[in-house]
Amino acid sequence: MIAIAIVILDSLLIGGIKFVLDKVASAVDEEMNDEGSLREELLAAQMRVELGEMDEEEFAELEAVILARLREIRDAQRGEASGAVSLGSGAFEVDVSFGGDENE
Amino acid sequence: MLAVSTDPAHSLGDAFDVPLSAEPVPIKTRRGDLLAAELAAGPALGRWRGEHRRSLKEIAARGTYLDEEDVERFLDLSLPGADELLAWLELERLASETHCEELVVDAAPTAHTLRLLAMPEALSGLARVLDRMQARHRLLAERFGGAWRPDESDELIADLETQGRRIAERLRDPERSAVSWVMLPEALSLAETKDALKALDEADIPVREVIVNRVQARDGEVIEEIQRAFSDRTLRFLPEEAREPRGMAALRRVGRGLREPHPRPGINARAKQKQPGEPDWSPLQGALSTSPGIYARAGAWLEDIAPDNLRLLFLGGKGGVGKTTCAAAIALALAEHHPKARILLLSTDPAHSIADVLEIPLGDDERPVLGAPQNLRARELDATRAFDAWRERHAGKVGEAMGAFTSEGVGDLLDLTPPGLDELIALSTLLDTVIDPTVGGERPYDLVVVDTAPTGHALRLLEMPDLALSWDHYLLSLLLKYREAVGLGDLAAELVQLSRSLKRLDALLRDPDRTRFVAVTRAAELPRRETVRLLESLEKLSIAVPAVIVNAVAPDGEKPPRERFGRCDIIEAPAAFPPPRGVRRLAEWVRTWEKATE
Repeated sequence: MIAIAIVILDSLLIGGIKFVLDKVASAVDEEMNDEGSLREELLAAQMRVELGEMDEEEFAELEAVILARLREIRDAQRGEASGAVSLGSGAFEVDVSFGGDENE
Repeated sequence: MLAVSTDPAHSLGDAFDVPLSAEPVPIKTRRGDLLAAELAAGPALGRWRGEHRRSLKEIAARGTYLDEEDVERFLDLSLPGADELLAWLELERLASETHCEELVVDAAPTAHTLRLLAMPEALSGLARVLDRMQARHRLLAERFGGAWRPDESDELIADLETQGRRIAERLRDPERSAVSWVMLPEALSLAETKDALKALDEADIPVREVIVNRVQARDGEVIEEIQRAFSDRTLRFLPEEAREPRGMAALRRVGRGLREPHPRPGINARAKQKQPGEPDWSPLQGALSTSPGIYARAGAWLEDIAPDNLRLLFLGGKGGVGKTTCAAAIALALAEHHPKARILLLSTDPAHSIADVLEIPLGDDERPVLGAPQNLRARELDATRAFDAWRERHAGKVGEAMGAFTSEGVGDLLDLTPPGLDELIALSTLLDTVIDPTVGGERPYDLVVVDTAPTGHALRLLEMPDLALSWDHYLLSLLLKYREAVGLGDLAAELVQLSRSLKRLDALLRDPDRTRFVAVTRAAELPRRETVRLLESLEKLSIAVPAVIVNAVAPDGEKPPRERFGRCDIIEAPAAFPPPRGVRRLAEWVRTWEKATE
């Protein structure tokens, strides 16, 4: 019984940890994608400035917003990098900040 | 008979003393009318595109993923090298419209004539690329429509291919074409002619006749060298005349001189003989005896044309006026005058002469000038080499980017040597040497002295930043438009960087404190008229011209009326025989230059 219980607990735990790790990995992926797409957004804005479709003032505003988000993502990543326990909380934080992004 | 000038800086009308345009006008001669025209590449390109617009749009629609608006914009872009590309199509058109069987072409100075003579192959190459773009359409038409029938656009492609091939063949057929090379009895001209004739021999377009113009009795030594160098070709000598031959009567006389079999220099009574007491090289001998050191200090005119914060100094003018000699002399004077400034003497004329003028070996890298101040470097730009290197490095990336918009085959465009290559590479080198990509970064050079190609192509170079910017912006807007599908990638970042650099170069070129163009001319009427037109073009481009150097002024010779050159200072560079070469003699010569007084 105990052995069966341990096996079940084990698989639950291990499966659970694996599940959490998967979540973290995909969240990091999304972050990376998000960072990539933010950078591309910045590049697109620079292109529009060169083409005269956007003035320097508009660009400065947009650049500030994009750079702030990039900084948020960096900070979040730094938090995740400091151990297994905070990995989970890091993922949680990222989830929250994603939600915040989408609602903006 | 039709006479046509393909040099973007035309002088044919000046020589006939008849105003000419892109459409042939009759000139009365004793044996009937001679037709003459001066090609205009811009309008010719516009007309050609107008005539074939439908086919070109069709090919672009079939061979690329661009929509109609993109194609329209593409077709309106200016082309670098349009002068050379369009010249052949225009010559064919004019010959067929005027029913002239014989064409005399007055071509641009050395380098661009070599480009012109290589252009028929480029036409065929362009036809092959367009053909590959059509291939996919043909395949689809055959698969789904049963059969493919050639249409208008296939005809255009076939026409281009045939024209290119036919012109290339005709150029190589001694029964139908002949290239006569015209040179001056000077060591520099001899070196340039040797290089050009070698290149043409290799291209299988042999030059059978070499005309040595403006020969004087004193030229014996260089004439002997010319005779040795070109013993296998027909040599003709035209004597220097006291007045530049212009107008029908004078040209007839020159023609008679050319018909005489192998005339020898010095036998023509009209040849300008050395006057008793006329000095060979006296201005320099005077300078030598009073010279305080090896490098002589130039006069106040140097500060007038090159203030302290000057970044770019162009020297340009008609072929054969002595641009390179003057550019080298000024670079030496500046290097001594500003010992702390890093100065580069850069030749962008593909037919380089600065190594010959300085009498040191040079190449396509920045080298110290032996015997000159340490702060001076010199470089002879090699556009073909630079393009090959660029292609090696970027072919993958550009091919990838093009692949996003086009079907297979368009990448072959990279295998063609693009028309306007010399100006494109010169532009990119100017960006590298005078524009720092990062604000606050170290600038490689404080001042770049540019020895440009003769007038027409010097102007093409100065127009190039605008043209490159229009292409850059076209590509940027395409990338933005299709970013969902193709992404932006490294190319977009590079195009943004290029756009910024081009704008900064543009601002630099139009800033009279940082960029100046000094025109080099001679006292004779033809160079003088070309200089006046050059100054007008530079004014339109908003490029400052502080001075005109009148080269080879003889003490008792003709002097150009100064009112012809507007507000520019006139600097007189005294005639010297033989023309000064080598660091030491150039430095001494430049000291004898004087600003003409009011």
